[in-house]
Amino acid sequence: MGYIAMILRKPPYGDINAAEAVRHALGAASGDWKVSLILVDGGVLLAKQGQDDTGTGFTNLESTLKDCIDMGVDVYADYLSLALQSVKEEELPDGVQVKNESDIASLLKEADQTMIF
Amino acid sequence: MLVIVRSAPDTVDGRRGIKMARDLAADVVLLQNGVYFLQQEHLEDLGFCRTAYVLSDDRKLRGLDPADADRRAKEITYDALVDLMSESNNVVGMF
Amino acid sequence: MGKTMTLYLSTSPYSYENTLTTVRLADSALDKGHTVNVIASADGVYCFLKSQKAKGITNAEEEFSRLIQKGLKVFL
Repeated sequence: MGYIAMILRKPPYGDINAAEAVRHALGAASGDWKVSLILVDGGVLLAKQGQDDTGTGFTNLESTLKDCIDMGVDVYADYLSLALQSVKEEELPDGVQVKNESDIASLLKEADQTMIF
Repeated sequence: MLVIVRSAPDTVDGRRGIKMARDLAADVVLLQNGVYFLQQEHLEDLGFCRTAYVLSDDRKLRGLDPADADRRAKEITYDALVDLMSESNNVVGMF
Repeated sequence: MGKTMTLYLSTSPYSYENTLTTVRLADSALDKGHTVNVIASADGVYCFLKSQKAKGITNAEEEFSRLIQKGLKVFL
């Protein structure tokens, strides 16, 4: 159906953006879109491991991100944002690829549609 | 005096809350995205040197290292937060 | 002796974490014997609509209904 790039700029849980990004990424992937989920700014915090949702009622977004990867969504994290948000590359789950700004610009240039969360 | 900060360190609101606490010699409670102030030297960089409390559930939800909480803040439950708020003469928030 | 805690909620139920924070704070304060008021204003009033279907996030209707049974006072 085409290629859609989704950019997540906000950290998980404080607002609905991260949950919406992964929800729409899963929906698009199941609808035969090629999907890239690009984590920038606070959005890279979605890829932190060890998120414990006990007692909060929240869907665990660490698990949902892994579901995205399993469903074939290409997940990218911005190199500079990782450094600024204190997320080490070795902390990232398998399947999350680290890219620099120009790589991300190329991904967006190729996309038929872009959504920003 | 207690200032409650719910916004992340890369936001105007979050930084304003910490700076206000610094200027008013108040303690801070970090919750929601405010728990990311535990990372790096955010609190020190803003000149904050009083007591920081962090809401345990919100730190765990985000997968933040408990060692950061131990080093920079006192971890509290909602019950302890209610006690802090009821004992404080003034509560400002949430930034 | 119990004090009075008044919480101001002005955000919609499912776009921010404020719903969960308000519910958990009110719950703890009620358990401790305090009087708890929630003043809902602006989009906060949507937390008190009936027939909400939320899953995977704090269901505002269910949680606030439970707290009202426990003594929470709500002002819209």
